[in-house]
Amino acid sequence: MKRIAFNLMAWTIVLITAFPLIWMVITSVKPQFELFRIPPTFWPEQITFEHYARLLWETPFLLFMRNSLILSFSTTILVVAVATLGAHSLVRFRYRGRERLAQLVLFTYLLPSVVLILPLYLMMVWLGVANSLLSLVIAYTSFALPYALWLLRSFMQGIPDDLEAAALVDGATRMEAFFDVILPQALPGIISTSLFTFILSWNEYLYALVLVNTDDARPLTTGVMSMLVSSFNIEWSLLMAASVMMSVPLIIIFAFLQKFLTRGFGAGGVKG
Amino acid sequence: MSLGKGASASGNPLDRRDAMLGVMLIAPSVLIFCAVIVYPLVSAIYLSLFNIFTPTLQGNFVGLDNYAELFAGQEFWRSLFNTLVWTVCTLFLQVVLGVAAALMLHQAIVFRALARSLILFPYFVSTVVAVLVWRWLFNDLYGILNHLMLWSGLLQMPLDWLGSMPNAMISIVLVGAWKYFPFVVIAILARLQTIPDHLYEAATIDGAGAWGRFMDVTLPQLKDVLMVVILLRAIWDFKEFDLIYLMTGGGPLIATQTLPLMVYKEAFGLDAMGRATAVAVAMMLVMLVFMVLYLRKMGREQAR
Amino acid sequence: MTETTRNGLSRRSLGTALGAIALAAPGARTAEAQQTTLRWWSPQTAPAQREAYNFQIRTFEEANPGVRVVFEATSDEGYPAQMAAAFGSGQVPSVVTHLPHFAVATYWQNGLLEPFNDVIDMIGTSNFYEGANRIYEITPGQYAGTGIGNSAANMMWLRKDLMQRAGIAAAPRTWDELRDACRKMQGGGIFGAPLPYARNSMTSLIFICFVHGAGGNIFSPDLEVTVDSDAFRNALEFYKSMRELCPPGATNYSWGESLTAFVAGATATGIYTGRVLANVAAQNPRNADNITCARYPTIAANVPHWTFNDFPSVMIPKVAPNIALAKRFAAHLFRADGYIRQLHAAPGHVLPVLKTISAMPQYQENALIQKYRAEVDLMSESAAAGHNLGWESPRHKPNTAAGRIIASHVLAEAVQRYVINNEPMAAVVSTTAQRLQQLMRG
Repeated sequence: MKRIAFNLMAWTIVLITAFPLIWMVITSVKPQFELFRIPPTFWPEQITFEHYARLLWETPFLLFMRNSLILSFSTTILVVAVATLGAHSLVRFRYRGRERLAQLVLFTYLLPSVVLILPLYLMMVWLGVANSLLSLVIAYTSFALPYALWLLRSFMQGIPDDLEAAALVDGATRMEAFFDVILPQALPGIISTSLFTFILSWNEYLYALVLVNTDDARPLTTGVMSMLVSSFNIEWSLLMAASVMMSVPLIIIFAFLQKFLTRGFGAGGVKG
Repeated sequence: MSLGKGASASGNPLDRRDAMLGVMLIAPSVLIFCAVIVYPLVSAIYLSLFNIFTPTLQGNFVGLDNYAELFAGQEFWRSLFNTLVWTVCTLFLQVVLGVAAALMLHQAIVFRALARSLILFPYFVSTVVAVLVWRWLFNDLYGILNHLMLWSGLLQMPLDWLGSMPNAMISIVLVGAWKYFPFVVIAILARLQTIPDHLYEAATIDGAGAWGRFMDVTLPQLKDVLMVVILLRAIWDFKEFDLIYLMTGGGPLIATQTLPLMVYKEAFGLDAMGRATAVAVAMMLVMLVFMVLYLRKMGREQAR
Repeated sequence: MTETTRNGLSRRSLGTALGAIALAAPGARTAEAQQTTLRWWSPQTAPAQREAYNFQIRTFEEANPGVRVVFEATSDEGYPAQMAAAFGSGQVPSVVTHLPHFAVATYWQNGLLEPFNDVIDMIGTSNFYEGANRIYEITPGQYAGTGIGNSAANMMWLRKDLMQRAGIAAAPRTWDELRDACRKMQGGGIFGAPLPYARNSMTSLIFICFVHGAGGNIFSPDLEVTVDSDAFRNALEFYKSMRELCPPGATNYSWGESLTAFVAGATATGIYTGRVLANVAAQNPRNADNITCARYPTIAANVPHWTFNDFPSVMIPKVAPNIALAKRFAAHLFRADGYIRQLHAAPGHVLPVLKTISAMPQYQENALIQKYRAEVDLMSESAAAGHNLGWESPRHKPNTAAGRIIASHVLAEAVQRYVINNEPMAAVVSTTAQRLQQLMRG
């Protein structure tokens, strides 16, 4: 009985949270003339997939998606690789200025992006990579890295010292201990940091707006916005279809990563 | 030989080699910062001493005039107040809802994988789209929220969610909480996986109920991650621009104008990049003060 | 973890990363291409408009072998940042279209634009509507750009069926008639009007129309602040009195909400461009036969109508590469076949600046334009004779601070102070005047 009540409560909360998604999906399959019925209707009277078709075949949407995928994967891999090593260093090693370094890294975060984008753009021009996906990877890495470092650091702090010590006693080098012992323990933390970094890159708008203008390198955020949202008019149906399709890869990726976030994985390496 | 945290990296050559390895591992991170962020950071601070016309980034030196003007006027202080109210309220909700949801999703419920994906949806969706959808839902004429409240008899007239106070601030706090609490969920859920079962077993044997187990086992284990999550979310919420700008534009009047909105208005609306960077630097100093205090507290907690 | 897994993982991920980054740097390569490339920026990039642009690009490339035109989308919200980045780095596009007039004025004022006189000559000065270019003659004798379309943004839209039901015979001409009509038509879930009372640019822009509707202006022809006037006060009074005839959420309305309120049938009147026609056809076809438009009422029959046109522009940055070619391309955008396609992508919303185009049967052949001939003609005429804060009347000097004034929300705040906060008129007027003076000083 308590099980059922708990399940019901949990799912009610989930559905309330996801209500806007449900609204988006339903709106995206409504024909245009059903959009603004007063009073508003929930279920569509007719279901149509014309908006999806239009978006996929008649706009550069797939190009934008390709760009976003390349961009987000590259950034995530780069950030997580660098941050994992860095976090390990901050937690398991001792050297002068270690704490200062960690705090300084966070310091770079404190200015709002609005004032950073213009000098950043000028720098990209100077480097010769302006208007390319590479410039976005560089920019996104710079603001995802502090977050990733601090998150991973806190996860790694939760791993007991004894594990690494045991491996070292067995004759492993520090790096071998890292790969064989620490990484598996830190996997849930790494997964969640990767997910967060991926989402950050996937959804970033302002940097993409200023750093990239060409459709070849334009990601979904600015691509969809500039195409469908202007001050005098919003293409609601296409926008809802686009938003659903922008959220779907993330939901799939997370569903795939699910199993790494379950109990028993990476837990209980040392008993007692 | 074990390398506990108490070991010092002094005379012993093995220790020094280890320390060097440590430095090498953090080097890529540091390099990336220096290469990418230092120039924009420094130029932003430098520009605040000038009177800059945004499209050309040219202007004349005015020293601390931008700051003087800023602190003498009303707008900065009101925006600062709004930013603090917004940050504290939405952060509180994000943390409370996030931890609660993480605990809930840690249990075995039907279709748990799907539930987890769905609850992360607010964080997945792009802010611009989320705000547009929320504005639609909040709309007084064709929005479903008002419709449901009228239909159920809770209201007689549609509510003005976004155009009057305190509704406007409440609405953005709620949408902000909805949008970002999944970040807390992800981090906490990951940490929950690594809490050893035997701690819970021991607590149950000692007679602790569910709440007792939470307070005595879960919470202390979560503390480290939670403190970092709060720090990161606080910084991020403080700097939040898109959500508030698109939802209320800072209105009514400047009742929901936060500092990031003020920076944007100065930089690109009024083409005054110098004043904008002055606001940004002031913002940074405020955050710096809080951050230093917080980190000190965190350091003391960890030393215990 | 086994040896292979550990090494395989790191090597593989490194390889993917490098490969992805290599794929992703096309920018450097195109710069060295043999062809001449022109970049065209515009914030109007709805799918229908894009098709029109592609046609215009194709025809130009066919006529000019060796030339490539690349269209790059910007956005209404994003163009200030993007243009700043472009100007700051010297990497400017060759042609920029559809930016509002006050943006062009600001850039011109700072020496960033190439004079447009040549292009206007290429298009043919006599082809334009009377005085259509005047607003872009910011420095006497030199044109900063020109309009690529006209929009009559403050047309009054009416529901003929509701008017009939309320016994209203003709479109209201004065404010009193408007208020009366809205009162009569309000009820049963329908509101009188969707006027904005928000802290945004729409409110500022629309309120300027009401000040002119009261017979006044924000600045004198010599650009002195004139808000301390009866006209301004009357406008505030009237705008306040209309508040109860607008929906509760009007305190947060922007263009989208105001448009949808009328299109969805929730208000009896609307205030918008011809975009209403296309949206009603798509989103609420039941009302398609019930809508019409008229010029927005003024305070009294002897006060002339004032139409707000933000004159979406065409301009060429001064440091653009291939200036001569850019000018030819800009002129090409006005060639009948392509231009008509552009106009048909947003029928009624963007109106031709060339009277020759308006007269062409190919232009008139569009379904919406045919169905609403009278309305479109009225809008074309009104827009062509329209004004905005940058140029409030034919006697006014160009006001290059217009963009800043709108972005500062000073007029929208005046409305909110008076209407929502009920602050006393004198205080609102004096604060507004002070802030306007500050903004003019720069």
